[in-house]
Amino acid sequence: MAAAGPSVFLLMVNGQVESAQFPEFDNLYCKYCFVYGQDWAPTAGLEEGISQITSKSRDACQALVWNFPIDITFKSTNPFGWPQIVLSVYGPDVFGNDVVRGYGAVHVPFSPGRHKRTIPMFVPESTSKLQKFTSWFMGRRPEYTDPKVVAQGEGREARPT
Amino acid sequence: MNPKEEKVKIITEEFIENDEDANVGKRKKNSKVQRQPRKKQPPTTGPDKMMLEESHLGNQQELVQDEPQTRLLSVTARRGPRSLPPIPSASRTGFAEFSMRERMREKLQAARSKAESALLQEIPTPRPQRLRSPTVKELETEFGTESGKEVGSTQQEDDTQSYARVKFHVSARKIKSKPQVPPGFPSAEEAYNFFTFTFDPEPEEAEEKPKHGDGTHQEEEEGEEEPPTEEGANRMDEEELLHGKDAEDFLLGLDHTADEFLAVRPAHYESVHVRLQREKEMLFIPSRLTVPTYKKLPENVQPRFLEDEGLYIGERPEVARTNQNIMENRLLTQESGRRWFGDDGRILALPNPIKPFPSRPPVFMQEQSIKAELETLYKKAVKYVHRSQHMIGSGDPAGNFQLDIDISGLIFTHHPCFSREHVLAAKLAQLYDQYLARHQRNKAKFLTDKLQALRNAVQTGLNPEKPHQSLDTIQKTINEYKSEIRQTRKLRDAEQERDRTLLKTIIKVWKEMKSLREFQRFTNTPLKLVLRKEKVDQKTDEEAYEAEIQAEISELLEEHTEEYEQKMEEYRTSYQQWKAWKKAQRAKKKKKKQATEEHPEEETEEPYPEEDPVKPSPPEPTDRAAVEQQVRERAAQSRRRPGEPTLLPELSLAGSVTPNDQCPRAEVWRREDVKRRSVYLKVLFNNKEVSRTVSRQLGTDFRVHFGQIFNLQIFNWPESLTLQVYETVGHSSPTLLAEVFLPIPETTIVTGRAPIEEVEFSSNQHVTLDHEGVGSGVPFSFEADGSNQLILMTSGKVSHSVAWAIGENGIPLIPPLSQQNIGFRSALKRADAISSIGTSGVTDMKKLAKWAAESKLDPNDPNNAPLMQLISVATSGESYVPDFFRLEQLQQEFNFVSDEELNRSKRFRLLHLRSQQVPEFRNYKQIPVYDREIMEKVFQDYEKRLRDRNVIETKDHIDTHRAVVAKYLQQVRESVINRFLIAKQHFLLADLVVEEEVPNISILGLNLFKLAEQKRPLRPRRKGRKKVTAQNLSDGDIRLLVNIIRAYDLPVRKPTASKFQQPSRSSRTFREKHAASPDTRSPTHSADYPLGQVLVRPFVEVSFQRTICHTTTAEGPNPSWNEELELPFRAPNGDYSTASLQSVKDVVFINIFDEVLYDVLEDDRERGNGIHTRIERHWLGCVKIPFSTIYFQARIDGTFKIDIPPVLLGYSKEQNMIIERDFDSVRSLSEGSYITLFITIEPQLVPGESVREKFDSQEDEKLLQATEKFQAECALKFPKRQCLATVIDISGKTVFITRYLKPLNPPQELLNIYPNNPQATAELVARYVSLIPFLPDTVSFAGLCDLWSTSDQFLDLLAGDEEEHAVLLCNYFLFLGKKAWLVMGNAIPEGPTAYVLTWEKSHYLIWNPCSGNFYGQFDTFCPLKNVGCLIGPDNIWFNIQQYDSPLRINFDVTKHKLWKSFFSRSLPYPGLSSVQPEELIYQNTDKAAAAELQDRIEKILKEKIMDWRPRHLTRWNRYCTSTLRHFLPLLESSQGEDIEDDHRAELLKQLGDYRFSGFPLHMPYSEVKPLIDAVYSTGVHNIDVPNVEFALAVYIHPYPKNVLSVWIYVASLIRNR
Repeated sequence: MAAAGPSVFLLMVNGQVESAQFPEFDNLYCKYCFVYGQDWAPTAGLEEGISQITSKSRDACQALVWNFPIDITFKSTNPFGWPQIVLSVYGPDVFGNDVVRGYGAVHVPFSPGRHKRTIPMFVPESTSKLQKFTSWFMGRRPEYTDPKVVAQGEGREARPT
Repeated sequence: MNPKEEKVKIITEEFIENDEDANVGKRKKNSKVQRQPRKKQPPTTGPDKMMLEESHLGNQQELVQDEPQTRLLSVTARRGPRSLPPIPSASRTGFAEFSMRERMREKLQAARSKAESALLQEIPTPRPQRLRSPTVKELETEFGTESGKEVGSTQQEDDTQSYARVKFHVSARKIKSKPQVPPGFPSAEEAYNFFTFTFDPEPEEAEEKPKHGDGTHQEEEEGEEEPPTEEGANRMDEEELLHGKDAEDFLLGLDHTADEFLAVRPAHYESVHVRLQREKEMLFIPSRLTVPTYKKLPENVQPRFLEDEGLYIGERPEVARTNQNIMENRLLTQESGRRWFGDDGRILALPNPIKPFPSRPPVFMQEQSIKAELETLYKKAVKYVHRSQHMIGSGDPAGNFQLDIDISGLIFTHHPCFSREHVLAAKLAQLYDQYLARHQRNKAKFLTDKLQALRNAVQTGLNPEKPHQSLDTIQKTINEYKSEIRQTRKLRDAEQERDRTLLKTIIKVWKEMKSLREFQRFTNTPLKLVLRKEKVDQKTDEEAYEAEIQAEISELLEEHTEEYEQKMEEYRTSYQQWKAWKKAQRAKKKKKKQATEEHPEEETEEPYPEEDPVKPSPPEPTDRAAVEQQVRERAAQSRRRPGEPTLLPELSLAGSVTPNDQCPRAEVWRREDVKRRSVYLKVLFNNKEVSRTVSRQLGTDFRVHFGQIFNLQIFNWPESLTLQVYETVGHSSPTLLAEVFLPIPETTIVTGRAPIEEVEFSSNQHVTLDHEGVGSGVPFSFEADGSNQLILMTSGKVSHSVAWAIGENGIPLIPPLSQQNIGFRSALKRADAISSIGTSGVTDMKKLAKWAAESKLDPNDPNNAPLMQLISVATSGESYVPDFFRLEQLQQEFNFVSDEELNRSKRFRLLHLRSQQVPEFRNYKQIPVYDREIMEKVFQDYEKRLRDRNVIETKDHIDTHRAVVAKYLQQVRESVINRFLIAKQHFLLADLVVEEEVPNISILGLNLFKLAEQKRPLRPRRKGRKKVTAQNLSDGDIRLLVNIIRAYDLPVRKPTASKFQQPSRSSRTFREKHAASPDTRSPTHSADYPLGQVLVRPFVEVSFQRTICHTTTAEGPNPSWNEELELPFRAPNGDYSTASLQSVKDVVFINIFDEVLYDVLEDDRERGNGIHTRIERHWLGCVKIPFSTIYFQARIDGTFKIDIPPVLLGYSKEQNMIIERDFDSVRSLSEGSYITLFITIEPQLVPGESVREKFDSQEDEKLLQATEKFQAECALKFPKRQCLATVIDISGKTVFITRYLKPLNPPQELLNIYPNNPQATAELVARYVSLIPFLPDTVSFAGLCDLWSTSDQFLDLLAGDEEEHAVLLCNYFLFLGKKAWLVMGNAIPEGPTAYVLTWEKSHYLIWNPCSGNFYGQFDTFCPLKNVGCLIGPDNIWFNIQQYDSPLRINFDVTKHKLWKSFFSRSLPYPGLSSVQPEELIYQNTDKAAAAELQDRIEKILKEKIMDWRPRHLTRWNRYCTSTLRHFLPLLESSQGEDIEDDHRAELLKQLGDYRFSGFPLHMPYSEVKPLIDAVYSTGVHNIDVPNVEFALAVYIHPYPKNVLSVWIYVASLIRNR
């Protein structure tokens, strides 16, 4: 076994970004990516994806349904740094600018089987009222330099949300 | 409503109508059985599929021809109404259909009658009956009445059409099939069908299924009869039937299908008995019977009960007996099950972990109580107890000690707002208080009594009636008494006098006050003094008085006589002496007559003592009167006269204060001022403010009442207790009036017992007021003429009490005194057993032990362990003090593996090292799962490094000093990196969130303006490239783009056939050099070239990270390539993080070669037939650009000077002769060749930002603020210009930059070379500085800001970047007496850098400290492109001119309009001391070591060249090598200038028949690796001509301080044929 190469374990992730609830927004699309530790490497599948734009369903629950598939396989030697999926949702604002509507992250489930996860989404807040207004007006909301920061512990103290 | 559902309902309803009389009860019974098989159906089957299935099943019992028809129908059903929108009804009810329907109706009539008859037959069967009840229910619940249902059905009709059709048809078919089976009995198929039928799976229906699923089935069979009963349904049914029939007819003739052959078997059934039988075989069921003990124990072993033996056994958890038995039985059958049994034959068990009581408070379910439960309880914050020497032990639960400070009030005895009257009143009050105090003590009375008692004692002592004591002792005691009487009397007199004067002053002050009140005509204070007279009996009083006086007189007389006697005694003795003496004197007189003169003198002296004692005896009788008089006088003075009434002053506040409106204005002001003032106290405990009182307004009587009690919970032993009195005037900030120090109470003083005490305070405040208030600290007077001035200070009294509090249980909360003394010991004790039991008060160990023995504590119970330990310690007598302190006591329990084992694990070690960010492992990916998969060699490098850390290894460095330096640098780097890693964790908001900045007006305005701007689509706009953060990059993503545009003035070849010219040239003197040589040569050389032969065919080769790219070959000395080369970039270890990229040390080598074609055709006869040439390339020069520069600059664009070796054999700079005539003056400025390049990284990387860590500094805070301000101002005006005021020194402290500049001595050796030529000396010094190796800070301190080392550090380290070089050079120039400044600016290719500017008589020179070159201010090829600021030893000047190019600016720093200076008139230069040493000390380098190094380098390089030519033989030409070796020192002494021709001549002379190409390389020495790289980059080894020979010589010239100049001469020789 040792001669055949280092032993690893595999983690296969199948699933989909099903739907979202953004009561205030419509015509959103989402991106996902994975954040994982040093001992992890994706072996197959897509690490990142960007979904189609969806609009709200016309029924009472007003869900934004993407049903956007996720399919990735990781190999790893160490459970430390278990992959997290990072989702970020974007959509047009009043002026048609694409702005971020939410960030969220969740660990890939630890146990095999079917899991349903609901991720609370958040966006960074402007530092001041004036900035809030100008960012709204200019269509450039505050956003993370990299969506992956939401899955990292570092610098959490510096993040207003 | 779902159409299908609707439909089902309709049908069921219809059925009901037909079957009204069916039996309900029966049906219900069977319905359960029916439902069961249905559940077996696969749940996933869709409705369509089911439909199909249905039809299949139907087929089996139906006519064959039906089957295709159903297929067809099922297909239609599939596109049925389930998900699609309803099909418009219009199309359905078309004309054609209508006529069909008519026909159908007739047919239906017939069918119905038939069906009716069939139904009648069927009634006895159980199925229809079963169905009824649910449908009936349905009817009642859902539709209510039939009419309502009808409406519903018609409405839904169209929607349901297609679906209904299918169903209906199926039912119709079924009816048809009926006749085949005996009426009244379901056939086998039917039964099967029934059980396996798939019913509608829709969720809506699922609910109803249990109820009327059967109904649908039923109805399917009997649908035929429904249509006539109801109109609405009818129509639909007819239509469907029609369709069905049509299809049926149409498909009648079709064949059987595969379905027919489906084998149908009954469901497999297994009887319970059989199953049980089988299970018995398979399964083991342990019995519930108790297992006898012997079975559970090994053979021949008696059960052992540990409990009986006295060992502790915890309580076992409760398990039911049966369960236990089952478990035991099971274990017994298991292999090695016995180990589960303990010695006592029971299953091993841990003590019961369940606590007998809940640890969570019970929650009551009543609503009110929940509310009560959730009531918030206020708990005081409890401070964590930390230890210090004054600390009070460890956290004893009762360890909160408490001091109660009661501050009852404050009285001002003087206050600036006092009016004159107040001053008097205060005085009066004070006096009165004094009086009261005295009165209370009544010392005079006490002393009088004492006197009396003493006198009596003397009297009795004198009485001879009691002679039981010896006379002697009596006399003695009497004498003592007497002296005591004397003493007491004096005291009494003094007291009495004081009392009297006090009374007098009180009265006097009161009088003054009264007069003042009269004078000012208002009253400010309510004080009123009343003198009460106490009448005394005149006679007795007088008698007492007289007796007293008499007694005194007699005593005095007695004293006097005693005195007299004593003196008489003295007199006598002295008289005797005198006499004796006189006799002696006379005897002397007789002998000596001369001495008579002295006699009278002596006699006059002597008689005095003689006469003195005589004196007192006569006044004795007369003295009595005198004494009496004396006594009386004194009595009169100090004592009340007899008969005179006793005066008792009483001070009351009964007086009235004049209201404001009757007062003069000044007084009103004063009163208002008083009102505005308020006072509060701060309580400071151990100099820390712990609480403060409320702020109270100052009363008109200048008293403030607080009445607050502060409970100080303390941990520290109180050292000081201070009250600070603060006064607030109006809304201004409070001012500290005074501090009052309170004594710390004795431990015996507890709350309730503490008296209220008054502590006085006073302040030295000076206040002058503009109203009636007298102020404080200022003189004032009561007199009109201003005499008799008084100066009063603000003062007052605080009445307070401080006491220790008493705890709830009556124990005073006092820190034990012993804690202070033996704190250390007791703390240890506490840390041990006692504290763990929580019985801090237990002191008597013996008792405790006794108690433990008596109460039969189980010594093995872990709960008792600490107690037992304590007892054993105490009884054994030796006190056990642990010599350790364990932070986490439970850690050991959680260690699942020992530390050694953990450390032995390679995997764990790897993980650990990685998490520590050890450089070798920082980016280690995929640490293997198993230890065995980790190669030992992984650690080798790391371990080696660890080992070498302190061992100086000379292999790489050769020179030991440099090895030391390298080690040192490595250590500094590590420590700095560690700091950096910590700092990296601190993110700012801006690091994480991209946010638009707050727009200011100008930006907003600009944006608005842009909106209005015309769109010009054809106008190209430069767009910034997208920057890429380094996080999501991988190998191959980054490329280095090198655009080589053109070169200027490349050296050109010289013809080889110039041998005959040599003699003439070698005759030239050495000094003649540059000016002359081109002129002499040029005409000849140009003539040498045949027409059409190019001078040089250069191409450029770029090598980076061992990737090599080259351009095409251009022609001529000024070639233009204009080519873009792409080189891949790989980060070390594949880590593309910013920190890693910053530390990339790779260098981009841009080498310029000349491509030389040699004709190798040996036979001239073949020349016509083919070309046979060999290409050789000759190195011309190179440009080196470190990757870090590119990384930080993002792009490098400009013309660079090519580093051309001083001697390039076979080449010369020929361009001069060509263009000389036109641009002589311009060209002469620029010696050397240049290349224009553009280099960038694609995609653009974001360079890491320097750490924002605020470094501490020893600079003055004001200076730091000034620098910040200066920098901010500069950045506002010219954000791009570099402005530096503070830098960080090597220890990480902020230092003001001018401290680095100071004249420092260059090596004396250099100064001695050209003592009379300052210019040459300057150049020499610059060269010396440039020989110190260059090491960019950013590489050594990855990602960190620049660290500046001082010049001595720099020379010690022998490595530094531009700043260090520049500082050293500047300091040298200052020493040489030049005017020199540091120039901070941008240069190419370095980017932000530091140069040195000097003022030379009439012009400025710019020095590049790293290369030693200098440029005039107007030199176009000066690499310095813009100037940010100048730094001198005492000031900084920021460039505020419009331009910043050195060509266009004025360097005159005295012009304030051009240069903004840091220190100016407003902020003068404070005379900052330098951080540089006083003097630099240079050690001469060891020449022998240098020579050794030289040999080693030569050897290494030779080996390397041989390594690089693995396929060829490398021959070394010794002769040539020795020639070169002799030549190199010459180069060094001439600094690589202009000896080429002589050298060439010499070489030619010696190696005439060789074609020779080679060059010397010159470098500062730092390590061997750069040397190897440099040699490699020249590509000398690439020649693969078979008969090539090589020559290589190395020369190292040592300069002081281990600065080494290395020359390497490499050459290749090819023998000419």
